[in-house]
Amino acid sequence: MRSMLHALILGLLGAGIVHIVVLFLVPEFSERDAWSRLAMASDLYKMTRLDAEAGGAPVVKSVDPLFYAAACRFDLADGLVRIKAPGDVPFWSASVYDRSGHNIYSFNDHNANGEKLDAVVLTPAQMIDVRRDLPEDLQGAIFVEAPIEEGVFVVRAFVPDESWKPIVSRFLEQSACELQDY
Amino acid sequence: MLKNAILTLLSLAMAIGLGGYSVWYALNAQDGVGAIRIGRWTAFPEMGTLAADPYSKARVARSGVLALGQAEGLAFVAERDEAGEPLKRECTYSIEGGYPTARFWTLYAADQSLGVIDTGKTRQSALQSYEVLRQPDNSVVITAGNRPAPGNWLLTGGSGKMYFVLTFYDTPIASSTGLSDVTLPRILKVGCNA
Repeated sequence: MRSMLHALILGLLGAGIVHIVVLFLVPEFSERDAWSRLAMASDLYKMTRLDAEAGGAPVVKSVDPLFYAAACRFDLADGLVRIKAPGDVPFWSASVYDRSGHNIYSFNDHNANGEKLDAVVLTPAQMIDVRRDLPEDLQGAIFVEAPIEEGVFVVRAFVPDESWKPIVSRFLEQSACELQDY
Repeated sequence: MLKNAILTLLSLAMAIGLGGYSVWYALNAQDGVGAIRIGRWTAFPEMGTLAADPYSKARVARSGVLALGQAEGLAFVAERDEAGEPLKRECTYSIEGGYPTARFWTLYAADQSLGVIDTGKTRQSALQSYEVLRQPDNSVVITAGNRPAPGNWLLTGGSGKMYFVLTFYDTPIASSTGLSDVTLPRILKVGCNA
């Protein structure tokens, strides 16, 4: 009887330990996180639509039905990445996520220069390099310093009604995500 | 000897079974640590940030969502009406009251996975603040149901559990200091189609 009780207590203690270990391992081993889903859908430095509007099932669940979204994966070990999108839409917002999907930095069209999306994501070390000699065409850009290597850049744009759908779609399709030389 | 082996096995099975199940259960529960409740509305301002607790980090990794950043917006979810009853897709609700400061907001009816419900019609089950009619005092009355309603009508339909998701974009309330004196609209049940 005593050893039975002993085993039960040990089991409960073990359950607690397993609970904590599993909890911390889930983010490490998840194959369903946003990065993995995007990796299945497209390459690095390629803007991919997240909503179902472009055909097929949505890549990453894009939550708000009145929004369109596009994302690209990048690796700062290759160099800086620059994201640009032309055109005017009622509202856009952008976020930088790290490899496991944490939101590192976000901004919207009111924070941007002339409400145009033109952003550069780079590491603090690259920032020091760039600042030494800022290229002419980077001067209007928003610099996002992120202490990460792999990451995801997401652009979301508001679709107020049906008539805006083509315009917002074009905004996202013409957005570019590319490695920048400096 | 055999008894010892069985007891060891029992402890191990308990540890792995209970430990695994409790994580699974905790990750599937709708509310959790770090939630902010205003009336019947719940928001997770820290979800998807580095400051989030381990549970919401695991939840984010498992569901693959990319949470809205602070400069983007903040989403509130309601799963019960003012009387505390769970929201049902076969019922009609009246969502009325004022809204906090934001550039605009969107409201939609969602299913369990918080995706917009599929009503099988071309009209989306979503409304946004630029298109709603307002009362003289700037508050908004929205009727959510499967029958057309005068004023602001949010189409719902089908049967089963329903959630309302209210998202504010470009809003000062997304910073935690702004959340103290925010009031959100109330959800009143009007009636149900049995």
